[in-house]
Amino acid sequence: MSASEPTDGLGPWRQFLCRACGLIYDEAEGDADSGIAPGTRFADIPDDWVCPVCGVTKTDFEPYRRRAPAALTEVAPVPPRRRGVVIVGAGIGGWSVAEAIRSWDADIPITVVTSCAGDIYHKPELSVALGRGLSPEKLLRETGGAAAARLGLRLMADTVAVGLAPERRRLRTTRGILPYTHLVLAHGARPALPLGLDPALCWRVNDFTAWAALHAELARGPRRVAVVGAGMVGCELAEDLARAGHGVTLIGAAGLPLPELLPEAAGRRLLAALEGLGIAYRGQTLVRGLTRAPGGDVALALDDGSSLAAQTVIAATGLATPSRLVQAAGLAFDRGIAVDPQTLRTSRADIFALGDCISLGGQPCRFIEPVARQAEVIAYGILGRPHEGYAHSAPVIRLKTRSLPIEWHGLPAPGLAWDVVEESGDRLAMVQRRAGEVVSRLVA
Amino acid sequence: MSSALALRSAHDSAGPDRPDAAILAGVAAIADGPLAAAAGAIDQGSYPLDLMGQLAEAGALGAHLDRHGARFGLAIAAMQTASRACGATGFLMWCHDVCGLYMEQSGNPALTGAALADHVAGRSFGGTALSNPMKAFAGIEPILLRATPVPGGYRVSGMLPWVSHIGEGQYCGAIAGVVSAGETITHEIMFLLRCDRAELRPCPHFSGMEGTSTWGLRLDDYFVGPDDMIADPARPFIGRIRAAFILLQCGMGLGVAEGSLGAMHAVEETLGHVNQFLDDRPDEIAGELADLHGRVMQLARTPYDGATDYLIDVLDARAQTSDLALRAAQSSLLHQGARGYLKSSAPQRRIRESHFVAIVTPAIKHLRKEMARLSREVMPA
Repeated sequence: MSASEPTDGLGPWRQFLCRACGLIYDEAEGDADSGIAPGTRFADIPDDWVCPVCGVTKTDFEPYRRRAPAALTEVAPVPPRRRGVVIVGAGIGGWSVAEAIRSWDADIPITVVTSCAGDIYHKPELSVALGRGLSPEKLLRETGGAAAARLGLRLMADTVAVGLAPERRRLRTTRGILPYTHLVLAHGARPALPLGLDPALCWRVNDFTAWAALHAELARGPRRVAVVGAGMVGCELAEDLARAGHGVTLIGAAGLPLPELLPEAAGRRLLAALEGLGIAYRGQTLVRGLTRAPGGDVALALDDGSSLAAQTVIAATGLATPSRLVQAAGLAFDRGIAVDPQTLRTSRADIFALGDCISLGGQPCRFIEPVARQAEVIAYGILGRPHEGYAHSAPVIRLKTRSLPIEWHGLPAPGLAWDVVEESGDRLAMVQRRAGEVVSRLVA
Repeated sequence: MSSALALRSAHDSAGPDRPDAAILAGVAAIADGPLAAAAGAIDQGSYPLDLMGQLAEAGALGAHLDRHGARFGLAIAAMQTASRACGATGFLMWCHDVCGLYMEQSGNPALTGAALADHVAGRSFGGTALSNPMKAFAGIEPILLRATPVPGGYRVSGMLPWVSHIGEGQYCGAIAGVVSAGETITHEIMFLLRCDRAELRPCPHFSGMEGTSTWGLRLDDYFVGPDDMIADPARPFIGRIRAAFILLQCGMGLGVAEGSLGAMHAVEETLGHVNQFLDDRPDEIAGELADLHGRVMQLARTPYDGATDYLIDVLDARAQTSDLALRAAQSSLLHQGARGYLKSSAPQRRIRESHFVAIVTPAIKHLRKEMARLSREVMPA
């Protein structure tokens, strides 16, 4: 029984939520068990009334506002919970494997587990998008939901893989336990922050979500930005930020940017090009700590005892592969998930890995070029199709600084001398030789 | 003086200072004997303080404390052994264990002396009222107890809907939000709440585990002085003991799963010819139980490891004990058939115990939400 519409002029009947047990007192319904008649306003209930379920008093109730139902991720209507391929990660690696499997097999169940939304974007664009005035909407190529529908797979967005039982072929996630026939690890690497860099005070740009949030902060107008780390990502971001109109300080551990990849002559050219864009380079400097200054700036404490203030701090201090999941499951790990260089199988034959999270012979390879070839090998392996195997070769590396683009063929060998083979005002070519053979070549 | 010391140490070595094997053997004798016999009555409402006293005497309720060697693995194994006979008693052991943990880790001489010795020896009993604040810290619900600073301490008011292992002369660890001028909570305090100065209100009936002495707890201007203070502020303290608090709970789920496995084995000879068609067969459950037990024992070596990865490992293991207990209990009833469905049978009781394991704070859903939160990268706001 419930009261008809109220006539007391106090508006519609309201509901009140017990904060302890979740019972809802509805003024229209009253509380028959306690002798509260239908149509009794909450305010008119005696103060000694208690929650009929858990016994807390009136003061532990609060007005109940109906919540919007939790937004559900768009999921393709197809896949039932059959055992099949489970892919962890919805970056370029994860989606490439799904695409490669689907190009041969329309039916095998595929589930993609990702801690993000699973939206598809082209990661290398993240470090050059600000200067081109690109918005997050422009960078998005396809939503995760649309890609899942197109490929007929089940996408579990905002879901973290937390545990793995290889013997039982089960992946534990924050939305349930998934049995699999084959598992593909494509969860990438994570920014590695040096001690002293408070993650709440510095951005890292390694995925679309982080970039979009940084974009929103930078959209407020020109800012003073400090980029910590002068590797490839740091140099590209510094230039991109400068082109977008921000005041940039680039902080590097060595005297010149990109010390691992560039000999001094090329490093000096790159530095001149960056400085030509108005970027201030602070070399031979480490950041010891970050603190929020009273005015809202972030103060960077530098190792020479001085300090620097910036409105926005971005750390580009390298990546590391998360190891908790795979090491707890007993998979071989060596600076990345160790995989067979031909089959890309991990130390468990039914678990594959590719992309930023793997290491080949102890070497991570965090470039985009090999990913499509790796995905194909894995898809063939899962479907039992013959394949000549993955052949790793050092990809061509390009530094996307428009002020001075640089290209490497063959990974530079640390400590090996560089010879100039061509030098003019706007072009520098250098090589590293071992026993007369060119092992690495760069053109700036 | 020396004879008093000798007497004391002789007394202690009869309790939680005994070797692991001796403690486990003592617990097993209680579990397989009087506890197994009483499990049905405990499920229906009998509060087994006598058996808790025996478990304390066996040394089962203090092995995890620093003063007895911080043997968390042993405390969990003891809880598992009791829980295979009676999940409700396993839960009471957890309540009692964490209460002792609060007292010892408080470093408050008024709580770490005779009071803690009585607690460990089972001369006094107390539980924990942290379900609400744990959920409040995770942003799941508002904190229900409010404290106001007064000279010499705080005055606390509010109502907690269900708190277990409490009663006349008993106590529990509790947390209240300190309200300053206005309604904002500045921080929280954690204190030992003496039930004799609070109002215990009967709870509605639960579907099982009624012998856990679970009450609604109402405080009205309850005074907390320095002698009962566990931590002020409470959050850093909770951060330090959180993994240990959750890890200890694993003993319950492991025990319910182990008891269920025993019930499956018990009918294998007679019903194996049809049971072979069921899911989650004893071999599978036994394998998973052994793996999970091993992982929990590994984690129990470093209960105060502060790393995020460690905490995720603990939450994952705790979630898995829930999952395994649910599946094992379900399968055990199916294996036993009608005899498992009898009102007096252990398999149907364990179904409800396994549900309790999965919903008691932290419930599976809370654990998953927290693992997702901890896995997210922190970024500037």
